[in-house]
Amino acid sequence: MREPTFLILTALASGPRHGYGIVREVTELSAGRVTLLAGTLYTALDRLAAEGLITHDHDETVDGRLRRYYRLTDRGIAALDAETARLRQLTTAAEARLRHLRSRPA
Amino acid sequence: MPTTDPLARRYRRLLRWYPRDWRRARAAEVMALLLDTAPPGRTRPTARETVDLVRGGLRCRLGRPASFSVVAWAALATVICGLFTGALASRAAWETSRPQPDRAEAGAILTEVFPGHDLGDIDVPPALFVVYGHALTLRTVKTVLIGDGGEYQESATGATAFGAPPVPAEQIIAVARQRLTDAGWRLYDPQVSAYTGCTDKLCATPLPITDTTLTARRGDTILNASISTQTAADASYLAVELHRAPPPAVVPAGVLGALLGAVAGFLLFGWASRRTEGRRVSGAATFLFGVTMVLWWLPVLLTAPSLVGHHLDEPHPAWHPLWEWLGQPTASLLFLVGAVCALLALGLAAEPRRDRSPVALVD
Repeated sequence: MREPTFLILTALASGPRHGYGIVREVTELSAGRVTLLAGTLYTALDRLAAEGLITHDHDETVDGRLRRYYRLTDRGIAALDAETARLRQLTTAAEARLRHLRSRPA
Repeated sequence: MPTTDPLARRYRRLLRWYPRDWRRARAAEVMALLLDTAPPGRTRPTARETVDLVRGGLRCRLGRPASFSVVAWAALATVICGLFTGALASRAAWETSRPQPDRAEAGAILTEVFPGHDLGDIDVPPALFVVYGHALTLRTVKTVLIGDGGEYQESATGATAFGAPPVPAEQIIAVARQRLTDAGWRLYDPQVSAYTGCTDKLCATPLPITDTTLTARRGDTILNASISTQTAADASYLAVELHRAPPPAVVPAGVLGALLGAVAGFLLFGWASRRTEGRRVSGAATFLFGVTMVLWWLPVLLTAPSLVGHHLDEPHPAWHPLWEWLGQPTASLLFLVGAVCALLALGLAAEPRRDRSPVALVD
């Protein structure tokens, strides 16, 4: 799973969000490293929907602008769970090796 | 939704890169996002946004958002359609060429370059491109399309001198080179090949024979002369061919044709991909499309590398026509079968579908 995909799924893990909400949440989650543009976001949303990981939740109109909300499906939750476990295992392994490296006498 | 906001208008214009069905279902929410994220005072999309929307729109036109291979297939279809239409356009542009040299023009050149040689009758071809020496007609087109496409070639005005050379071959070559240079021809490196010939039927006395090919170009005329050291009365020691170089319109016509064909190929592929997505006919359409790609690309992959080698091995005052690089019309039968498969796939895509939303995210 690529980082933008992981970030979008993570953004939706806290509840349904519309496009602008996802963009803001992804920027915050990545500490400003990743700023999704509209074309990239909607290509990713189409793909995630086709894979059954997200789905349309509901629509709202605010100040005359349509806001379409998306949410994770059960498959999406499972995919995010699996990816999180994979990243955690990698992070744990990397941390252990770094600790070992730092503890060695120079 | 009509708007007077220049930024909104420009974003809306950029969204035209997306297919119409998708725009109908999603344009409002994408516009909302674009306007929400734009800082106050901005009147034009940034270059990064423009590239992103164009890329997103092109990807969206291919449909099958979960598929990675669809992009590769689209690239193959786009390139091959561009190559074929480019070749067709360049062939059409060849019609702006002067006819092959007539007897008067060829006679003047031969007398000037090869004085004192009896070159006999000058053979003038009936058309710029011929099949077995004949112009392409409805009768001969069958020959080209079914099996003998390799015989479709640019013609040449030719003349031949038979028997033993009246002077040593080296002298013929030296005189011809000097006269070609004096007359303003651009000379290319001569090609020399040596082999062993026979002076009698039993080949009791092997004879070393050298063939030298002279190539020269002046304006739109190319001269190829083959000078041999052979001495048999019924064989030729001098054979000359004159033919036209590609006219100036060939390259621009080819490039324009290729661009238009590539765009058409991409749009058609995307349309068929979206139309067959998630339908029962998808498998059959994909199979037919795969067959088309194999039948269209195979001759290109087999021909182009060998033609590159051929170009590097011999001097070429002009490139071979684009269609020859694509293995056409030598492999025209494969092209035809591929075209039938492509039409069948498009036919399947055109079948009316039980309408379901073109955009999975919209209920």
